[in-house]
Parts: sequence; structure tokens; C-alpha cells
Amino acid sequence: MALGTMANQKNVDPQVVKEKLAKLEPQLSALQEELKNTSDKRKRDKLIKKIEYTQGKIKQAKTGERLGRQTKRDLVAYSFIAPNFIGFCVFTLVPIIFAFILAFAEWDGNNAMKFVAFNNFAQALKNDRFIASLKNTVIYCIATVPLTLICSLGLAIILNQKVKGRNFFRTVSFFPYVASLVAVAAVWNMLFSPQKSGPVNMILYNLGVAAKSLPKWSADKDWVMFTVVLFSVWKNMGYYMVIYLAGLQGINAELYEACSLDGANTWQKFLYITWPQLQPTTFFVTIMLTINCFKVYDIVYMLAGGSNGVLNKSAIVLVYHIYEEAFRNWNLGYASAVAMVLFLMVLAVTLIQFRGEKKYAN
Amino acid sequence: MKVQSKSYKFWRFVLYVVLIALAVLMLIPFAWMLSASLKLDKDVFIFPIQWIPENPRWRNYIDIWTKIPLSKFVLNTTKLTIIVTLLQLLTSSFAAYAFAKLDFKYKNLLFMAYISTIAMPWQVYMVPQFIMMRGMGMNDSHMAIICLQAFSAFGVFMMRQFYQGIPDELCEAARIDGMNEYRIYSKIMLPLSKPALSTLTIFTFVATWNDFLGPMIYLKTESKKTLQIGLRMFISQYSSEYGLIMAASVLSLIPVLIVFLSLQKYFVEGIAATGVKG
Amino acid sequence: MKKRLLGLTLACTMTAVSLAGCGGGSSGDTGATTAGDTTTAAPAESGAPEGTTAAQAENAAPASGDTVLKWAVWDISSTVYYQPLIDAFQAANPGVKIEMVDLGSADYQTVLATELTGSGSDFDIATIKDVPGYTTLVNKGVLEPLDDYIAKDGVDLSQYGGITDQVTVDGKLYELPFRSDFWVMFYNKDVFDNAGVSYPTNDMTFEQYDELARSVTNDTPGQEVYGAHYHTWRSAVQLFGILDGKNSIVDGNYEFLKPYYEMILAQQEDGVCQDYATLKTSSLHYSGAFAQGNVAMMNMGSWFIPTLIEKIKTGEYGPEVANWGLVKYPHAEGVEPGSTLATITCLSIPTSAPNKDLAWEFVKFVCGSEGAEVVAETGTIPAITTDAVVEAISGMEGFPADDASAEALRTANTYLEMPVHPKSSEIETVLNEGHDNIMTEGSSIDEGIAEMTEGVQAILGN
Repeated sequence: MALGTMANQKNVDPQVVKEKLAKLEPQLSALQEELKNTSDKRKRDKLIKKIEYTQGKIKQAKTGERLGRQTKRDLVAYSFIAPNFIGFCVFTLVPIIFAFILAFAEWDGNNAMKFVAFNNFAQALKNDRFIASLKNTVIYCIATVPLTLICSLGLAIILNQKVKGRNFFRTVSFFPYVASLVAVAAVWNMLFSPQKSGPVNMILYNLGVAAKSLPKWSADKDWVMFTVVLFSVWKNMGYYMVIYLAGLQGINAELYEACSLDGANTWQKFLYITWPQLQPTTFFVTIMLTINCFKVYDIVYMLAGGSNGVLNKSAIVLVYHIYEEAFRNWNLGYASAVAMVLFLMVLAVTLIQFRGEKKYAN
Repeated sequence: MKVQSKSYKFWRFVLYVVLIALAVLMLIPFAWMLSASLKLDKDVFIFPIQWIPENPRWRNYIDIWTKIPLSKFVLNTTKLTIIVTLLQLLTSSFAAYAFAKLDFKYKNLLFMAYISTIAMPWQVYMVPQFIMMRGMGMNDSHMAIICLQAFSAFGVFMMRQFYQGIPDELCEAARIDGMNEYRIYSKIMLPLSKPALSTLTIFTFVATWNDFLGPMIYLKTESKKTLQIGLRMFISQYSSEYGLIMAASVLSLIPVLIVFLSLQKYFVEGIAATGVKG
Repeated sequence: MKKRLLGLTLACTMTAVSLAGCGGGSSGDTGATTAGDTTTAAPAESGAPEGTTAAQAENAAPASGDTVLKWAVWDISSTVYYQPLIDAFQAANPGVKIEMVDLGSADYQTVLATELTGSGSDFDIATIKDVPGYTTLVNKGVLEPLDDYIAKDGVDLSQYGGITDQVTVDGKLYELPFRSDFWVMFYNKDVFDNAGVSYPTNDMTFEQYDELARSVTNDTPGQEVYGAHYHTWRSAVQLFGILDGKNSIVDGNYEFLKPYYEMILAQQEDGVCQDYATLKTSSLHYSGAFAQGNVAMMNMGSWFIPTLIEKIKTGEYGPEVANWGLVKYPHAEGVEPGSTLATITCLSIPTSAPNKDLAWEFVKFVCGSEGAEVVAETGTIPAITTDAVVEAISGMEGFPADDASAEALRTANTYLEMPVHPKSSEIETVLNEGHDNIMTEGSSIDEGIAEMTEGVQAILGN
């Protein structure tokens, strides 16, 4: 330790130190004064951070260390992040930033880019396929997120109990997620066949629904989104169940024991232990679910695309719209602009959720 | 006491009925895949479905190996999946530790940079990315797929969430004991995050194993292609050999299931089981 | 196993830690790569020998000094004419080798367009799959105009039967067709025999066709026979309307489609053809539908001919379809029989091609009469249809023996399924949606037509 400090020392020029201190010390006292007069908690937290930082600087100047303690800590942290971050930066962030710039340009991928300011966004507002896709995506998210969340949490809690054949049931629940989409969609469309003889329609018919008014499910423009929502809950709940299962392992068993001693029933245990303890997991699941719902595309495409793979306005979603504009029409600028809209929506939702997480943590 | 056990038994019964019903619902696609994999192409989508084919066509399982170089594809996919999964586990659990347990400058900013990119659909930056990668000479190489898949923000985000569930006191105590951050990460965090690491392994494995569009755009040489492109080779312009596609899909499910089955054991080892108390 | 995996992970961690530690931030990237390489050395190595031999085998073909042309194609393994074309060309042009690169069928145009984006591509020849894809590439400016080459070598465009005029953009031609498929009516002779109805002919009006389809239909549950089958593609129904040559699908006015939709919706209502919604959701392929043997007539492209012959030969399709025939498309009153839709497959030269002149030699060869013969020998219809070509195909083993089927291969007027138009893919989307809404009965015919008219007018900016 001492050796480290020695190596870290440079020749201290007293004149320089004095100058630095003369600058830093008034700053510090000003901050401390401000802190006394501030009552808002968030502002106070910020001020305290600033004070700590200035204090660190002063100490650094006094001892003449090349790297302050905070700087060293930062470096350690960066070394943790670096392997992932550099790869991420080069291969994901840079192209994404480029895509951001594209949103304000007209580009077909080949000819010179033309800057068009907000023209792409104005165009989007005039495009009824964009409006339809925005509407469908939002409806889809609002319906799918809570449903999937409840189903996957319920499934995870059940499959975290000691039930016979637990491994089997867990694996089976994961099945629709890994099975080929062609197979899953085919089965689903078979169950929800538009014919009277389709299994689901058969049940409805026997329940007294007139043959003429039986829904055509994914071929029906009024029912297609409903079918898609059901389908995606079924397909994805195994995936989020796995995350919840992993989250459930993190709950300390002693908490439950203590709760049992207090005479809590199952529901109370869930309410006072499981649910609060799963908060970080739920936060993660909600964000991922929201993002994935906003990014939905292949499910809809397989279910409602038909043989020519074109989605109608009744089923079109944002990412499909991006895809068709980017690769059918090669309007890369316009596609980027639509992506920006998608991005901003997701960002807004995520920020709200982060707020929620922070509030909870406090 | 007696009443309680009766109602307990009743609820157990209901539980099993629900579980079995769910299991059936979940297994239908698999049954369909199996059934389709033993059929001729023309019979696959016939309605109403014939679950047990009259003349099961086992040949489909032989044909898939001869019609396309499937063994080569399986090998390529395995290689890519293993490299990507390892890199992903390693780098993201590493980075997540810093995000969850360390305090440093620009932490929130960097983290938001990660999160926000998850929201970007790949289709948006696919073309600039391709041009960039080609400029780096990575077109038609496995390196491209590895770089594409290995550094996802998803892994970092997920691991961070799990690390946050581990009490800070553990790290503090270790720091007081004089452990440096790297040791805390490897000696305390890693062993504790087995369920999370398993989850990430499963997800990365499945995602890479099933990835289609990436390999499709980057890999052109036949000997470099992956299983999922191979599956698509049975879909030609004017016909789709669904019997063969399903036979290959059934086979391609096996590794995924093995990974899942062998890792899901970690979901029973909670914190209590590892002997650490919060 | 678990332990080992974890150990491995840990080992990697350590490597990365030390690398990241000593090299600072910038080497993190290489550090990660090294870690990846070491850990996966085992599987990579076991794969290596095979990989190298495969690569060597591929490289062995072009001897040193040869110019290699890269040709973008799809479905190498299931397309029978690529290799014969290459062999014939290489025999005639020593010193030039053609290397095919398979970009896959399903997303071919997307992958090709991505590949040609920017200037880094090294493809010399690109196959163009469809007209919207062609329009896209032309708009992007990544295809070389062929007019100078055509003029220089005196290529006679009239041999393509006017098709090249339909793909000329602003007076410039960027592709030459080598394969041309057109739509015909496939029918199952046994179904007609069983119903005691005479076969369809090469000269049917739509009224006669409708009547014929209804006369063979049987809607008894369990033993249904469908008089007609329409695949879910827009082309299968909508494009009946353009065969009189008076209307175009990109005009922005779709009143003329009304009688055809009325005819087909009535057929659907009466069980003459299968329900569109069911076909759409069940993803039943037209070949599967026809192979069931309960479809009397099906309109489909001539590409189905070799498939049908092949599958009957291998026994995949049973005796219930073995007895099939071909007739020309039905026609509107007062229109010459033999008017039909066409789909062409073409070759282009990318602007970034390294060897443009040699590429042109190849394009000229494949799309010329020599190439046409090679293509015809494989049972595929080339873009240049001479008498010899028609004879070659109708003389194939497995082709129906009756004269009417051979005669059906002769077309009078052919119209592209989608003409070249700068907005063709946008228009396509609107038309697909209108078709889908009408066929699923989500909209009435009038509403559907109004939707299409409105949508396309908006695209055309009127």
C-alpha cells in the first residue's frame, strides 16, 4: 500500500499546490454553505456528492497523488466495463448513432445523403401505414405487457414449489419460446382456424355463436391483434418465467421462515416478501417486455402475413413498417425517423420505470 | 388439522390439473413439428390436421443430411454459439458488476447508453453496420457474427439487475477485509449469481443458435453458413419442403433442450443453498 | 460438467482481467477476442480440417491466371440450370471462371440490395428475382445500364417479345431476361372424368370457365371437390383484370377488377374454391392443394410444370394428380386467347462490378439463344421462346401428351405481374391489402376497390 502511494507521488511543487488549494477551498465552503440552506432532498444529495468530490480534489492536491482515490476507483470500474463496452461501442453504438443522424436525412444507402431536417417525421405523420402501425403497437403493448407479466410470474411461483415433475414442467413451459416459429404459428393458426370446424370456433359455435359471426381470428381485421396478443403471451411466458425463476432464487429463505412464525398466510407471504423482493426482477422483466413488445415483428408477420408476407393496416406494427420502408423501398432516412419515434417512446416508458425503481429503492 | 390437509390435497390436485393442461398446450407445437417432420411436403398444412401420419416418412431424417451439408452447418453453429455465449457471459457479468456495485463517474450516462440501444430494432442500423463491418473486412466471416452478438446490452442489463439483488453489505465486508474488486467479483459475485448466469447462458445460447438474419446477411460461403440458413435452404422460390424443415428443426431443438435441462438445476440453488446470508 | 463450465468462465474472466488490466482500455477488444479463441479452441480445431479442405476444394476450381466472376444467385442446390449454363459458358470462354454465391431464396432481394449498397461489393453479375426488386436497385443506382453493350454487340431485343420494353426505365435498360414464366391453367383430368364433364379448352371465356368450375364442384362434406383453386397471392385473382390489355395495375383506378372479384367471391361462397381466410392462415402451399387431387383447375405459373413432373416421377405426388393437363388462361369476351401474366428472371451487372466487360459476355451468353437452349433443356422456360424451345419442353418426359397442353405453352400477349414503376413496391402493398380485405370479406368489393384507388392515388400524388 505504502509502496503504491510512493509510486503514485510526483514532485510536489508547493507553489502549484497553493494555487490549487486557493481555488478549491472557497469552492468547498461555498458548497457547504449552500447545503445548509437547501432543504430539498434531491438537491442536497447532489450537493453532498459535489462536496465529496471537491474534498477528494483537495486531498489529492495536498498529498500530491497523481490519481485521486475517486479516479482510481473510476479506473477500476472502467476496467470492468471496458471489455463489453468497447465491443458494444464499435459494433452497436456507432451504427446506432449513425442511424440517428440518418433520421434527418434522405438516403437510399447508395447515393449521397441529403439533409432534410424534420421532413421524414412530417412524412410519417402523413403516412397512414405509420399511423396504423403506431396504434397497433401501442395496443399490443398495453395488452401484452401486463398479461405476460402475470402469467410468467404465476408460472414461476408454481414451478418454484416442490411439485412432482418440476423439471419437466419447467422445460415444457420454455418450449413454445424455442420451438420454430413456423411450427408454433402453424399450430396456433390451426387451433384458431377461421373455419367453423376449427377447434376454438367449434367451442364458440357450441356455445351458441352464430356461424356467420364466428371470428376469422388472424384473417379477420377486427380480431387479428387479439389473436396476436394471445399468441405472444403463450409463446413468451416461458421466457420471462425463466427470469423470474432465477429471481426467486435470490430471495432469502429466512424471510419466509420469519414470516411463517408471524402466522402469515400464502397470500401475505407473496405480498410482503415475494413481490417486494422480486422488485429488481420485475423491473427488468417489465422493461424487457415493453421493449420487446415495441419491437415485435416476427410473430405478427408469421401469424398474419399470409403467403406474400405483407401485413395489412389492421396488423402492421412499427418494426414491420421500418422493415418495409428500409428494405422494400430503401427509404433508410424515413425508416430511421420511424425508429426514432419508437426509440423515444421506449425511452419515455423506461425513464418512468427507472423513476419508479429509484423511488422504491429509497 | 384434518380439514387443512384435505383442502391442501384439493389444491394440489387443482395445481396438477392446471399444470398438465398447460403442459399439453405447450407441447402441441412440438407434437406438430414431430408429426410434420414425418410427412411429405404436400401433407404438412392439410386441414384438419392428421396427427399421426399414415406412412411416417423417416427418410426425412436421412434426407436432411444429404440434401444440404447439414453436419457442416451444425458444426459452424455450435462453434459460433459457444464463442458468443462465453464472451457474452464473461464481458457482461464483468461490466454488470461495475454498474451494480461500484460508484464511478458517468455511470448513469453509460448505463442509459446501454439501455437505450436495446430499444433500437436491429433493422434500423443493420445497413450502416453492414457497411462498417465490410469496411473492416469482416464480410463473409464468422468474426462478424461473433462481434454482432457477443456484446449485447441485454446481458449487461440482466446481470446488473441480479447483482442489485445481492446485498451491498457483502461487498462492503469484503472490501474491509482487504479484497480488491476483481477478487470480490470472482470470489463472491460469480458464485452467487449462478441462477442469473444460467439464465443468461440459456438466452444467449437460444438467441445465437436460432439467429437467422445476421448470418443470412453476413455469411455467403457455403462452408461458413449456419444451421438456420440451412433450414431456409429447404424453402426455395417455388416450393417449401416443410417435412424436411421440420425434421431439421426437431434436431436443432435438441442442443437447446440439453442446455436448458442441464442449467435449470441452478434455479433450485438459492442464496440459502450457497450458505451466504444477506 | 457444471463445474467445468464455471471454471472455464472463470478462466476467461482472469484472462480478460489481466489483459484489461495491463493493456488499459484500448486492448479490451483484442483481449476479449483472445479469450474467446482460447476457450473455444477445442471445437474450432475439430472443425478446422474439414473447413480447410472445403475451402481448398472451392479454391481448386479456378486455376491461377483465370478471371473469376462472382455471380449472385439463389437456391443453387434446387435450381437445375445454373451449372449447365456455367459449364457451357466456360467451355466457350477459356480463362474465365464463374463462381456462384447463394444468397438464399426467401430474402434474396434484401440481401442482394444490402450487399450492393456502398461500393465495397465484388459481385460481377447479379440475378434479379422480381420487378419491384429491380426497380429498387435501379432507383439506388447500383446497376449498370446495358444499352451501350447492347448497341455495341448488336443484341436483338425483339427476340424477348417486348418484355424488355416493359422493364426499360427512363429509356435505359438495366437487365436482360433469361428465364420467363407465364401463368397457365393446370387441371386434373381425373376430376373431370369422374364428374363426366369435358376438359377445359385453350379458348375459354371467363363465363365458360366459371360454369365449368361449378359443374365439377362437389360440396358433400368429406368428399369435397373444388372446381377451382386460387392461391392467396394477389396475382392469382386480381390480375385476371389486366389481361384485356386495356387496364394497368399501376393506373390508380381499379373499377375494372369488380367483375372478377364478384365471380371469385361467389365461387368461394358456394364452395367452388377453398376459403381464402383458411388458406391464408393454414399456409397451405398451392402445390400441396393441387396434390390432394380434389382440385379441378388451378391457375399458376409455368414454374410449377417441372416441379409437378418431378414430384410425380419420384412418387411424392400420388396417382390422384398423375393425370394432369394444361390449358391457356381464360380470357375476357372478345380478347385473343393466350393473353397471360409473366414473371421474368434477369441478369444485371452492378456498377461496382470489378470485371464489367467479362460480366457482359456472360450476360449476353446466358440471355441469348445459346443460353436459352441450355435453360430449355432443363425443362425451364427461357426468355426467348422459339418453336424449338416449346418442343423441347412439351417433349419432356412426364409432360401431358395431349396437343392442347403443348399448345398452351404458346402465349399471345404477356403482361408483367408488376410493371416497372418507381413506386411499385408501395403500390404492391396497397393492392395486397385491398385484395386481402376483399377476399376475407373484411370489406365489401366496392369498399376494397375504393381503398385501393384511394391508396394508390395517394402514392401517385394525384
